[in-house]
Amino acid sequence: MLSDRRKNIAIFLLPSLVMLIVTVVVPLLYSFATSFFSLDLKYKGWGEFVGLGNYFSALKDQYFMGSIKTTVIFSVIVVAIEFIVGFAIALLFNTNVKGKNFFFSIVIIPMMITPVAVGLTWRLLLHSTLGVVNWFLSLLGIAGKAWLADNATALATVIFIDVWQQISYMVLVLLAGLVSLPKEPYEAASIDGASKWQSFKFITMPLMAPTFLVAILLRLITAFKTYDLIYVLTKGGPGTSTEVVSYYIYKTAFTHLKTSKAAAMSFILLIILIPVSYIATRILKNRNEG
Amino acid sequence: MATVTLKGIKKIYPLSDDDKKKGKKGLFKKHEEEIEHEEKVNLQITDQGTVAVQEFNLDIADKEFIVLVGPSGCGKSTTLRMIAGLETISEGELYIDGQLVNNKPPKDRDIAMVFQNYALYPHMSVYDNLAFALKIRKTPKDIIDKKVRDAAEILGITEYLHRKPKALSGGQRQRVAIGRAIVREPQVFLMDEPLSNLDAKLRNQMRAEIIKLRQRIDTTFIYVTHDQTEAMTLGDRIVIMKDGFIQQIGTPYEVFHHPANLFVAGFIGTPQMNFFKTELAEENGQYYVPLFGVKFPMDAAHMEQIKEKGIKPQEITMGIRPEDVSICYEGGVEATVDVCEMMGSSLHIHTTIEDKEIVVIAQSKELPEDKQLGFAHGDKIRLHFDGHVLHLFGLDEKNLF
Ligand SMILES: Nc1ncnc2c1ncn2[C@@H]1O[C@H](COP(=O)(O)OP(=O)(O)OP(=O)(O)O)[C@@H](O)[C@H]1O
Ligand SMILES: [Mg+2]
Repeated sequence: MLSDRRKNIAIFLLPSLVMLIVTVVVPLLYSFATSFFSLDLKYKGWGEFVGLGNYFSALKDQYFMGSIKTTVIFSVIVVAIEFIVGFAIALLFNTNVKGKNFFFSIVIIPMMITPVAVGLTWRLLLHSTLGVVNWFLSLLGIAGKAWLADNATALATVIFIDVWQQISYMVLVLLAGLVSLPKEPYEAASIDGASKWQSFKFITMPLMAPTFLVAILLRLITAFKTYDLIYVLTKGGPGTSTEVVSYYIYKTAFTHLKTSKAAAMSFILLIILIPVSYIATRILKNRNEG
Repeated sequence: MATVTLKGIKKIYPLSDDDKKKGKKGLFKKHEEEIEHEEKVNLQITDQGTVAVQEFNLDIADKEFIVLVGPSGCGKSTTLRMIAGLETISEGELYIDGQLVNNKPPKDRDIAMVFQNYALYPHMSVYDNLAFALKIRKTPKDIIDKKVRDAAEILGITEYLHRKPKALSGGQRQRVAIGRAIVREPQVFLMDEPLSNLDAKLRNQMRAEIIKLRQRIDTTFIYVTHDQTEAMTLGDRIVIMKDGFIQQIGTPYEVFHHPANLFVAGFIGTPQMNFFKTELAEENGQYYVPLFGVKFPMDAAHMEQIKEKGIKPQEITMGIRPEDVSICYEGGVEATVDVCEMMGSSLHIHTTIEDKEIVVIAQSKELPEDKQLGFAHGDKIRLHFDGHVLHLFGLDEKNLF
């Protein structure tokens, strides 16, 4: 017999547990199973069992590998810029600058808009003939461009927009880290003769290191899964210049209708991301215990 | 050369945003309630904030050892932190070495400090904690190593050098905090209760080390403590504070034998001085203090001062230290023993005379053999005190002499 307490716990957990199983666990297992068959939406049934065949064919697919490369480039650049600029902004907010609260709200706004709305807004802003950006550049005597349709600028433009939206996350996490740093070591350092810069180098940086790592890793994971912004802005084009892996998987499943192969690709993506999130959670756990 | 001069120093901690929201009125109300319910909180709260220290005037000579003592919350740490440059000075002037340093950042004041809360660098090993100040000054590596190891040796923390502060006990952390100050040779040492977390033996040992350190480095020390033994043994001069005000500045001898007011008299010395409300009376030109039906006459030295200062007969509080009360076998006043504490070579005898408590210290070996281990509850003894050891305080709580 269950004790009353345990029964209560079970009753309260049940609804969310059912939700999780129905929406997460079942689809996950289903797609995992799918990845070993040759399921194709053009035909009925699961197709035949092919073992790891879908995985091998995914790894041999040059478009898939290309999309992974694009994703890596996109993620690394996006996270690097967001981290550096975001940390600079966080440092600024951590001082007693005037109008801090006002600017803080502004920095936070982009985070609250859904990526689809962000994408649509920027598509309009960047429109080659009707957009505000090109109009503004023309005032300065600079020739406008079809920013998102040009092979040379498409990826950079997407990166810019993603940074514009996601930097607030970096600012928030890093600022939270800065605010929670102990004050005493800074007093001790100033007594010990350290300059502002030395305090920053010898105290702020090492004390922030775990926060840095967690912020970067978590953001890398989300950057690696970027899909909606690409879908709205470029649909992976021009050519494959902005085709990130999530978008390519979507295309494989719902344009080429190769469901099993798409499932295999998803699991390859998962395998890439698991170690990253594992390290991040380990650091978080260490920090909370320390 | 490093003199430190504090001129009319005042510290007001500004109200926090929360306090401001609550409004000044709410704050005052809370303050009054506090006074009612708790022990007296005399800190002034003005519309600018909490006044933690005021009218602080002190000239500290080069190489002097100054000890700040006072009850919790009286502003000792605040004063020290202002000297260090960690707190802004709200009013007044602070000179180090004759130079006005009100606006100089701590790093330019050439001071070392032991923090009350240690303030160790959490991410550095003990070794790096000690070495930090020297590294900043670009001291050669071998000299750093020698100094760090010497300091660790003195403080008995050599075996923890590779550990992080997190893995140390409170007492060990405190020794690291001391170590961080003693590897340096600053103009002024500031120490905020540096021995508070050590056990009795270690505390004595470290006190001796501080005396040695002083002989070796020979510079100005400003030292905060709760511990009377530390204050008395270390200080050239002692500054006694209460509620942000200085009560008395003097040598250990002066503050002990000539306390400026009732507060100092009660604060310095353990067990506490005995106090009795009585009067200073006169009969044919001779002044005396009537107590328990006995007239305690003022001695010649006191009489001289009474004449000189023109002191009139008045209501007073009389104080007498437990060690100045002697047990006699004839005359004196009869007292009943309540509790008797055996302290080793001496006895602390708590007695009552006419419902008034009076504590007496007696040297065990000077007592009759059957009483050397103490008196029993209810025993009757006779107490005697001389006129020359009496401390007299007027209604304004100031020492009459
Ligand atoms: N940052 C602050 N903001 C507001 N008030 C403060 C602040 N720091 C101290 N105070 C107040 O100033 C008064 C003096 O504090 P201080 O720390 O100097 O006392 P202290 O004599 O060192 O006490 P202790 O012996 O307990 O260390 C206290 O009443 C305290 O509440
Ligand atoms: Mg203090």
